[in-house]
Amino acid sequence: MNIDPTMNTEAEPESSSHIGRRSFLLGAAAMALLASSPAAVLAATKKPAKGKKPAKISGTIALQSNNADDKSKKGMEALVAAFNAKKTGTVKLNTVAGELYRTQLTQYLTSSKPPEVLTWLAGKAAQNYADQGLLLDISDVWASPEMAGYSSALKGLSTSTDGKQIFVPIYYYWCGVYYRPSKFAEWGVKPPKTWDEYKTLCKTLLDKGVTPIGMGLSDTPWVASFWFDYLNLRVNGAKFHRDVLSGKKSFNSPEVKAVFAKWQEMLPYMDKQAKGLAFAEAQTKFYKGETATYVAGNWWALGAPKDVGDDIDFFQFPIIDPKVPVAEEAPADGFFASAKGSNAALTKAFMRFLATPAAQELYLTTAGNSSIPAAPGAKAAVTAQNTKGKAMLEAAADLTQFFNRDGGDELQPTADAALLKFMDKPGDVDAIMAEWQAAAVSARKA
Amino acid sequence: MRHRRKGIDSLPPTVAAFILVPFLLEAAIVFGPAIQGVLLSFTEWRGVGSPKAVGLANFRELADDPIFNVAFKNTLRWLVVFGGLSGLLGLSLALFLKAQRRGVAVYRSLIFLPVIFSLVVTALVWRVLYAPDGLFNNALQAAGLKSWGHIWLAEPHTVLYALVVASLWRSSGYIMVLFLAGLKSIDPALTEAARVDGANRWQLFRSITMPQLRGVTSVVLSVIIIDALRSFDIVYALTKGGPYNSSQLLSTFMFQTAFATGRLGYASAIAVVVFLLAVTFIVLYLVRALREDPR
Repeated sequence: MNIDPTMNTEAEPESSSHIGRRSFLLGAAAMALLASSPAAVLAATKKPAKGKKPAKISGTIALQSNNADDKSKKGMEALVAAFNAKKTGTVKLNTVAGELYRTQLTQYLTSSKPPEVLTWLAGKAAQNYADQGLLLDISDVWASPEMAGYSSALKGLSTSTDGKQIFVPIYYYWCGVYYRPSKFAEWGVKPPKTWDEYKTLCKTLLDKGVTPIGMGLSDTPWVASFWFDYLNLRVNGAKFHRDVLSGKKSFNSPEVKAVFAKWQEMLPYMDKQAKGLAFAEAQTKFYKGETATYVAGNWWALGAPKDVGDDIDFFQFPIIDPKVPVAEEAPADGFFASAKGSNAALTKAFMRFLATPAAQELYLTTAGNSSIPAAPGAKAAVTAQNTKGKAMLEAAADLTQFFNRDGGDELQPTADAALLKFMDKPGDVDAIMAEWQAAAVSARKA
Repeated sequence: MRHRRKGIDSLPPTVAAFILVPFLLEAAIVFGPAIQGVLLSFTEWRGVGSPKAVGLANFRELADDPIFNVAFKNTLRWLVVFGGLSGLLGLSLALFLKAQRRGVAVYRSLIFLPVIFSLVVTALVWRVLYAPDGLFNNALQAAGLKSWGHIWLAEPHTVLYALVVASLWRSSGYIMVLFLAGLKSIDPALTEAARVDGANRWQLFRSITMPQLRGVTSVVLSVIIIDALRSFDIVYALTKGGPYNSSQLLSTFMFQTAFATGRLGYASAIAVVVFLLAVTFIVLYLVRALREDPR
């Protein structure tokens, strides 16, 4: 039904600025010939975007969002309302619950009439879709003034294997070990810095009848990957972590076995019910003080009731081997666009809007999200945690994202199976690693 | 007269249309995709671009795939346990509730009730019951049997049966109604005559009720087989095949391969196996049915 307006928009710039563009292109070509330096070519390719501005962008595009919890949904609505108020065109928001979205994303992108803009994750999680030719090349959005000061790290995470930008990040966040300071005070314990301190802490807590480490895996088994990621970063470092996720190294290796050995030291302290608890149930146990620590992203504190929310803090995942350069997980969230979308002009206009400090501040404030905005000029909704998180990421020698973001979505089910099985049967670790490697090879097959 | 005879020889256009249109529709929306699915199973395809032919590689990979093996065994186990128990339960309930006693209609309705609930709601209720601190574990604890407690949906040796119980709760009411209808159609004179001849309850059941129910039993059997092979919803809603694939059925594994891993060719190969499994059972059944019924 919205084929008509989009067809108009595609046709309009052609007819109205036909001569203008042709002469412009001639000029640009001449310039490129005269000064055949890459910079000049860049400048020339940058200009058509500006040249298009007077030509009308209009029509309707669909925005598929997985920000389904109340606050985040309000944030998305505010974002869409702000863009629609500019009368550039209309963006229609469609929200799908997170887990469903995750399993259906491939279907959205491969359907004959995909949503134009979709929320997703930076890094390999986005690059995989680009490799399949499903994503719109938005290099010109990255060349626009809105994105001039973005960090090269974020640009790298938003770039496909063939060097095109395909993703606009709007914020990134830190991960850590969450705890409730008031409960820690009540139990007379302090946040640990090293692995041994963490183990001692867990032992003390267990003796007091508190479950030291919480987890909810029945509907969100990927939560276990936080443990694999951090242990691998702390034991083997970021380079090995990336190599094993990308398939250059094997899951069936002495390095990965060392990771499981460290994990086994913590198994007695992990909630025995974890595998039967849903995400929300595990959250409730943590809020009630039945579990003491929880490895998660900054979103862990966001869903908490007000009185608990102010009483949640985090510490850095303890250092295991001081010789390994400290790496942290810093996942970036944002948007990519479908290659088969019906209205590239409006899609790109919307993505440029998303890249602005104003848009990101609007989203984070409305959603009550403590993440760090991607735009260099944007101010985060500052909290003490926020400052601490940012400082932790800046001090880190290397940053990774999260298992599926670094390894690709197709790899996540293999990790879920392997990690849950390990937690159940730590004795079978050798067989589990072999199975995992085989499953990973099969999942990566194109 | 002449007209009519001619009409039989050459099909009137209306009749032809009534045959052709549904056939074409069926061909376009059922046979076509089915054949396409079979063809896809010989390819490697991610859903974009053109599929790459790989011959029998997918099937060879299936044979060595540990998850497929688990899923295949689970599906057979499901077929036997779920199929057997729902037939048995349905029949017992029907026999128990066939007499026209006071309030029997209430019981029948109560047992049939789960059928009308949405499956997702059913799954939610069972999830709560099976939770680590849920009704079952609490009841066991109250009875002093705490050590019998399990995390039902997350332990590999309990999960499949926990799922079967949840499915049974739903399906046995339906099977009961089918059997009740069958029992109603038995001529009371037969039972009466047998009773006069001094047949006891078991003899009545063996020699009168069961043979008379043969028609219904065959319907029930096909309903059960189809139900068992397409079981997906309750498993997907409760465990998604977890923990670590131990409750994976062919249907859920196929879904995961196609839509989470994105390997449509490999998933099609699984679909072909499910199809063959269904055909085997149906052919076995048809052969038996035709042999028994010379008509």
